[in-house]
Amino acid sequence: MAVAAVSAGGIADHIHPEPQGFVRRYVFSLDHKIIGIQYLITAFVFFMLAGLLAEAIRTQLLNPNGGFVAADTYNEIYSIHGSTMVWLVIIPMLTGGFGNLVFPLQIGARDVAFPWLNMLSFWIFPVSGLMLFSSFLMGAPTAGWMEYPPVSLQGAAGTSMWAAAIFLVGVSSTMTGLNFLVTILKMRAPGMTFTRMPLFVWGQFATAPLLMIATTALAAALAALFINRVFGVPFFDPTKGGSPVMWQHMFWFYSHPAVYIMILPAFGIISEVLPTFARKPIFGYKLIAFSSMAIALTGFMVWAHHMFTSGLAPFLQLPFMIITFVIGVPTGIKIFSWTATLWGGKIHYNTAMLFAIGFVGLFTIGGITGIFLAAIPYDLHVHGTYFIVAHLHYVLVGGSLMGVFAGMYYWFPKMSGRVLNETLGKLHFWLFFIGFNLTFLPMHWLGIEGMPREVATYDPQFAFLNQFASYASYLMTFAILIFFVNVIWSIRNGKRSGPNPWGARTLEWQIPSPPNYYNFKHVPTVYGLPYDFSQPLPYKGLDEELTDAPPVAAGAH
Amino acid sequence: MQPVRLGRGFWTVTAILAILAVGAIVFWYEFPLEKYLPEAIVTARQVDTLFRFMAATGSALYIFVGGYLLYFSIAFRAKATDPPDAIGVQIHDNHKLEFWWTVIPALFVVLLSIVSVRIWYEIMLEPENGVVVEAIGHQFYFSFRYPQINGEVTDEMHLPRGVPVTLNLTSADVIHGFWVPAMRLKNDTVPGLVTTIRFTPRLDGRYRIICTQFCGVLHSEMDKQALVIEEKPAFDKWYKGWQQRNAHTSNALPAAGGQAVALQGGSAPAGQQMFAQKCSACHKIAPFDEKVVGPGLKGVLHDPAHPNLVNGQPATPENVAAILQNGYTGSMGTMPNATANGLSAQDIANLVAFLDSLK
Repeated sequence: MAVAAVSAGGIADHIHPEPQGFVRRYVFSLDHKIIGIQYLITAFVFFMLAGLLAEAIRTQLLNPNGGFVAADTYNEIYSIHGSTMVWLVIIPMLTGGFGNLVFPLQIGARDVAFPWLNMLSFWIFPVSGLMLFSSFLMGAPTAGWMEYPPVSLQGAAGTSMWAAAIFLVGVSSTMTGLNFLVTILKMRAPGMTFTRMPLFVWGQFATAPLLMIATTALAAALAALFINRVFGVPFFDPTKGGSPVMWQHMFWFYSHPAVYIMILPAFGIISEVLPTFARKPIFGYKLIAFSSMAIALTGFMVWAHHMFTSGLAPFLQLPFMIITFVIGVPTGIKIFSWTATLWGGKIHYNTAMLFAIGFVGLFTIGGITGIFLAAIPYDLHVHGTYFIVAHLHYVLVGGSLMGVFAGMYYWFPKMSGRVLNETLGKLHFWLFFIGFNLTFLPMHWLGIEGMPREVATYDPQFAFLNQFASYASYLMTFAILIFFVNVIWSIRNGKRSGPNPWGARTLEWQIPSPPNYYNFKHVPTVYGLPYDFSQPLPYKGLDEELTDAPPVAAGAH
Repeated sequence: MQPVRLGRGFWTVTAILAILAVGAIVFWYEFPLEKYLPEAIVTARQVDTLFRFMAATGSALYIFVGGYLLYFSIAFRAKATDPPDAIGVQIHDNHKLEFWWTVIPALFVVLLSIVSVRIWYEIMLEPENGVVVEAIGHQFYFSFRYPQINGEVTDEMHLPRGVPVTLNLTSADVIHGFWVPAMRLKNDTVPGLVTTIRFTPRLDGRYRIICTQFCGVLHSEMDKQALVIEEKPAFDKWYKGWQQRNAHTSNALPAAGGQAVALQGGSAPAGQQMFAQKCSACHKIAPFDEKVVGPGLKGVLHDPAHPNLVNGQPATPENVAAILQNGYTGSMGTMPNATANGLSAQDIANLVAFLDSLK
């Protein structure tokens, strides 16, 4: 095996043998690809649970007087729905899941910088998820995913469990952020300069510092809430000198950047899928990468736009409004660049591509309504109403979740070696796209007309649109069931994909599907951007990779 | 590299989208918002103007983005006749185009900021010298306090048309949101904090008051009260009715246990300690005119020059207790209520005993 010694990048080929036992291989694995898949499977289980809770919400709202569950139960249901979707579904899928699975392959790394930390991050996540759901046993939190005190101080014992669970999942996020940041900074293949990194890597690079820095503010807030509730230290209790508004500052100092944690990696997925299926370079690579960093930075300066009604000094509100408007500019740049990427392409309609185009169409609506909410005078009208519910679902479902689905159809072959079924996939896309719009578009008007959010019963004047939304939401759920059927069926029966079913040009597609244990027997050298379809692939030293020969232990040659 | 040229199809589509965008702009400026939701106060119209501006420009923008997205998706799909390895036009960027789609949105941000700040300013500049009303959030209703009505009004909030209003908001328990959709205005009622909104009612009617911050198990039920805007004579009649109805009501709110504050058994030395902790930041033990934030309190109960308290009520121990319990907002500023100051019923009794001992 003399070839193994020749490495174009000069990196020593020191490869540990693959662990053979089931537990070390698939349970307590150190392999970023396995950990990524573990994240995705766990998050999809929580996604199913949160989806059931969502349907319970819509079923309750079929009738103005509710009647499906008691008001208290309803409040528990939407609180856990929101908390689960944010912390146990979208963030873990986009960072721990696709992040782990894809970006080390894209930068030509053999694993993340700290594999043990990575394993620890993952195993904290299902534990905190179980803790969150166990709060149902002792009276789950009822004050929504935001849990504003003082009402959250009155909540049942499960509210403390909620705080502990979210704290733990935050620890996991922080460690993942650190791990990814170091990996991207230190472990790129030779020649993989910053301006040659695929845009998904840029998405993760912009997200990682948000995970590290913002999550710590949330951890502090949650610790204080827990201590307030359990030991009675009155951080947030105004009758004893605490400040309930302080919670809102700390919470949103995390939760606004968290919106970008949930969307920047999805931007990255879209930026990979669109050029691949349009057979065209991504339009405006540098500006897309730069705008991700600009969004991540300004994302830290706008948290109080969630608090225009909370009694802030009026003049302090203005900068938050204007900086929020400014975020519209880099976001607009991305949307225009994606649209321009399609121009002049040879577009192949795979399901991943449908979800990517659908993402651009729906996320743009969420972005525009975000501008409405940033304008203080209009926010004073629609804050805390169904307008917000519509806006956030356009961003997090029409945006993040469509991105997750695009990623699933795109990278499923890389995980399993098989392609997801296209007929079921297209059915999934169209039913989901139609069901989603019919569910959430009417909610804008409900909010403008006067329906508050987080209510178990509502005025009969809103009955028609609510019933309409509820029936449409069943269509969405049906579409998601098709997706699960598709995944389960395709794992065994899907068409074999080969290494590169899409003719994609990023590094992860140049090695077998699923990749060998240590990804690259030779770390390749990178000579350019991955997106130019008229040029030969910009990688050297990969030629030996397409064999299925077992990795060579160090010193074997 | 293939030549980059925009074909006739592109310009046709652009023309169609431009027509649709103009249609959307006209639609939003013609849409009768006030038919669905009355504009009950003066600034509600400005907020609707802002909405029309954002809805019109936002729709026009979306028509172009969505329209091109759809058009490109259809026009540039790979055809069955294309060779399988056909690729698209290999352009990476276009600096001129990118420059303009950065600069034009940036200019739009400037324009939108100007429009929003102007309208925000009009809302903030509503006159300060109007009727002062207090709305207090409770689990699960709002109560209202008026200058010359004892105690609280608990069913509806009435306001005279055309008279500026200063509405002070606070809460007795948790955070509530005070929202009147017809006013296009809301603010949270935060315990321990008095926030103020100002507005001028312009349209008679009965409008729903809705709580928009989750406040507990019956939050959903907290949308049953009404704001009634009416002619001055009708308002005066309602006002007199409540004055008579509440004539014998104490201004003291029920304490946490549900009983009115009992002043018997107050301890003056304990009150003195409490005063040093909680009151001395704003009040001196000195004659009335030696103000810090609030007036000097020496002889507050025994000063012939000031037979009435700042709220116009006679200087009796009960009325002092009521101010301690409920707080007070007047020309000198706002004194927080007992919840905000962290005063128990016993603390209030002690403080009154202490103040009564100062001759």
